[in-house]
Amino acid sequence: MSEETSENVISFENVKFSYPGAQGVYALNGVSLTVRRGEFLSVIGHNGSGKSTLARLVNGLLTAESGKVCVFGYNLTEDKPESEESVPGQNNGSVLVKSARDVRTHVGVVFQNPDNQTVASIVEDDVAFGPENIGIEREEIGKRIDWALKAVGMEEYRHATPARLSGGQKQRIAVAGVLAIKPEIIILDESTAMLDPKGRREVMEVVRNLNKREHMTVILITHFMEEALLADRTVVMNRGEIVLSGTPEEIFESGDKLEAYNLCLPRISGIIGALNAAGMDIKPVLRSDELAEEISRKLPAGTSFSAFSDEDNTDEAEAPHDWDIDIKNLTFTYSKKSPFATKALKGVNLHIGEGEFFGIIGHTGSGKSTLVQHLNALIKLPQAGKRYRKKRVKKGSPAPELPEITVGQFDLSSKKCDFKSLRASVGMVFQYPEYQLFAETVFADVAFGLKNFNKNLGKEEIEKAVRDSIEMVGLDYNEVKDKSPFDLSGGQKRRVAIAGVIVTRPGILILDEPAAGLDPLGKKEIMELLHKLHREWCKTVIIVSHDMDEVAENCTRAAVIADGEVVMCDKPDRLFAKHDKLLSLGLDVPLTVKICRGLEKHGIRIEGVCEPEKFASVITGIYGGKSNA
Amino acid sequence: MLNDVTFGQYYPVKSFVHKADPRIKLLALIAYIVALFLAKNFYGLALCFIVLAATVIASRVPLGSVLRSVKAVLVLLIFTAVLNLFFHGGEHLLAHWWIIKIYRESIIFTVFFVFRLFFLVMGSALLTLTTTPVELTDGIENLLTPLKWVRFPVHELALIMSIALRFIPTLIDETNRIISAQKARGADFESGNIFKRIKAVVPILIPLLISAFRRAEELGDAMDARCYSGSKNRTKYKKLKFGWRDLICFLLFAALITGVVLFNVYAAQIWPWAYEFIRIS
Repeated sequence: MSEETSENVISFENVKFSYPGAQGVYALNGVSLTVRRGEFLSVIGHNGSGKSTLARLVNGLLTAESGKVCVFGYNLTEDKPESEESVPGQNNGSVLVKSARDVRTHVGVVFQNPDNQTVASIVEDDVAFGPENIGIEREEIGKRIDWALKAVGMEEYRHATPARLSGGQKQRIAVAGVLAIKPEIIILDESTAMLDPKGRREVMEVVRNLNKREHMTVILITHFMEEALLADRTVVMNRGEIVLSGTPEEIFESGDKLEAYNLCLPRISGIIGALNAAGMDIKPVLRSDELAEEISRKLPAGTSFSAFSDEDNTDEAEAPHDWDIDIKNLTFTYSKKSPFATKALKGVNLHIGEGEFFGIIGHTGSGKSTLVQHLNALIKLPQAGKRYRKKRVKKGSPAPELPEITVGQFDLSSKKCDFKSLRASVGMVFQYPEYQLFAETVFADVAFGLKNFNKNLGKEEIEKAVRDSIEMVGLDYNEVKDKSPFDLSGGQKRRVAIAGVIVTRPGILILDEPAAGLDPLGKKEIMELLHKLHREWCKTVIIVSHDMDEVAENCTRAAVIADGEVVMCDKPDRLFAKHDKLLSLGLDVPLTVKICRGLEKHGIRIEGVCEPEKFASVITGIYGGKSNA
Repeated sequence: MLNDVTFGQYYPVKSFVHKADPRIKLLALIAYIVALFLAKNFYGLALCFIVLAATVIASRVPLGSVLRSVKAVLVLLIFTAVLNLFFHGGEHLLAHWWIIKIYRESIIFTVFFVFRLFFLVMGSALLTLTTTPVELTDGIENLLTPLKWVRFPVHELALIMSIALRFIPTLIDETNRIISAQKARGADFESGNIFKRIKAVVPILIPLLISAFRRAEELGDAMDARCYSGSKNRTKYKKLKFGWRDLICFLLFAALITGVVLFNVYAAQIWPWAYEFIRIS
């Protein structure tokens, strides 16, 4: 077995590649890399570092310009078997690739967007697509579908429609579709980037099992540091080159270097760094339970700390402000009166005060998007609709309670409500807002909303407002205003889209997953932008998120939505203290809370700190107190 | 506004008709339409109605859903009915006003025509109500297979159809999201004259097109990575199988056509005195 595990299945020798029209900029610039059979390799790097190009070279979707790409002893660059050495007798365990096309039957790739990988409207038909293409017999295809769906834990969904599955489930189907071809190597090209944490966990679980149980070679391309940690070996890419390579532990020890490559340290390394700065001498571990164990060795057993004090409860009775949001009894049903009717909201009551940085947490499909779309009347309350007439109430039975929403001075349950000015003052940024850009220039796109809301604005006023908002989102006005929005980079597009919403200076800004799909640095920058907006322009910022760490670090208060209801609503510190409930809802908890849970097992109780910096300072505080005493 | 998560009108229940082979259902619909047009008297039409009613009952689809399909063609139905009534012509003049002449024959024909179109629409609706678009595509592909002999790209056509079906819900979602996003930016799609409304669609159409192209490109890559290389050496997992249900369907519709033809030939002999009033001319 040891011989077989040391066999190289992929080798890159000084590979160069550039996309047409890139003018001498190499997407891959002299990459050398070998992957062994059965290995779990993770590749990390910022957007545009060449990670995806690497994947496409391995399965022959792209061909290298120079250098050599060999997969299972087949030279893909020159399209011929590598050498005479690989005589069949010697290569018993491995597969012989006969042509460049053949490589695809041995190397499966799962891409980023689960929606754009399924060809059929029924799960089993989609999984069958690959085997059908390579001419497998019917009975065998049936067996492969059974096996592949079982491997990803989706047996029950064999006859389901992919469009009705969750993101994680769809992506597992995509994995199954690739597995059915029975490849030896599976490449995940940022396959988790568009999923929520639950979906991400599901897919990662599947991938790990494939590696451990089926001994499949896995290459995981990702920008989630936490996922990269699961691999045997990690490779860091920057500007088309491999800059670091080693075990995840080794990689994340070299923290400063990572930042130079536009990558962020995993949160855990940040905490360890802060603890070590206070002289705690903690080993660089990568899992929350390991860190908890490390910390527990340094602290006296029985330590107890709680950040809660009784005063915290007094913030309820606040005076009303201009921009308070009040939601009462909100219910909503999709496709009413059809066999597919689904209740999205079942009686939501929520108050969001002016000046908050509010988080709304929940799974995909929990109703959180439906909830926020009510706030600027994209979904109108029934009684505000044109055709609404009061129902006659039968004598004796109580009048049905109608939902009510007020946003500042707007009463959304009234037909007379000025919905246009409501939308101008409640800005809404949708998920992946860059996909709604349409105009020829950045200027025209940003000005679109402004012109819609206020038709009498002069040219100069428009120009000033557009300039202000483009500069607000951190772009250079003179540089981008005449560019086509489609020529910008992904992060820049998103900023332009946000600028197009804040150009009317809304008092309340709602963002649905503002950081989705960005690399860690991009995420950090967007969150910084939102804080700046909160400070300077918008009184209230509401983010819909499923990243618990994001909520823990940024929000003043957060609500958890599950199954169309508000289950919890509190400050993050208090909210995440009820971690058992969150976990039972299938939601994640922030890293700090995971560490606290680990500490509890060692008899150390720390409560009410979920922000990493605060957490580190609490720990070092206790540590300092102990060593002083 | 596009507001439904489903498209098409598939009504999800389990029934005899739902389980029947889509090919048979397609052929049965063709046979049914042929029978409707072959029928020259109300006996034949009644026979078609009996078959239709039996199928509706066997399908377990509520009658309301089947009838709703007629709503779409109601205007057309009334319009052509009125035209036929006024201008069909005949021998026994009943009423005359200006250029409008109503004959006994035109009344009979109009009634017959209305029922024929009514049954036709209901029959076709029943097919889409009981067959998923996917099954339909499979059925059509299968029925077209003989055309492969004349190098007609049957497989490619079927794949195009099935991918189109697969992406309809995705693109509807996307359209709704873009509409909401532009509405949130103050776009107004509901007022103004026709030119303003057409202009208002641009901010939806452009992002939608761009996204569709992006999706197409990614899908192409994903298909390529899953070894797609056209119909050569390709196998097919799903095979449609004829079952006892299909045999029953086949016999039923064969009987229908035979019955209609027999009525056409022998109707005059059943009740000779009434024959004049129940046939069309």
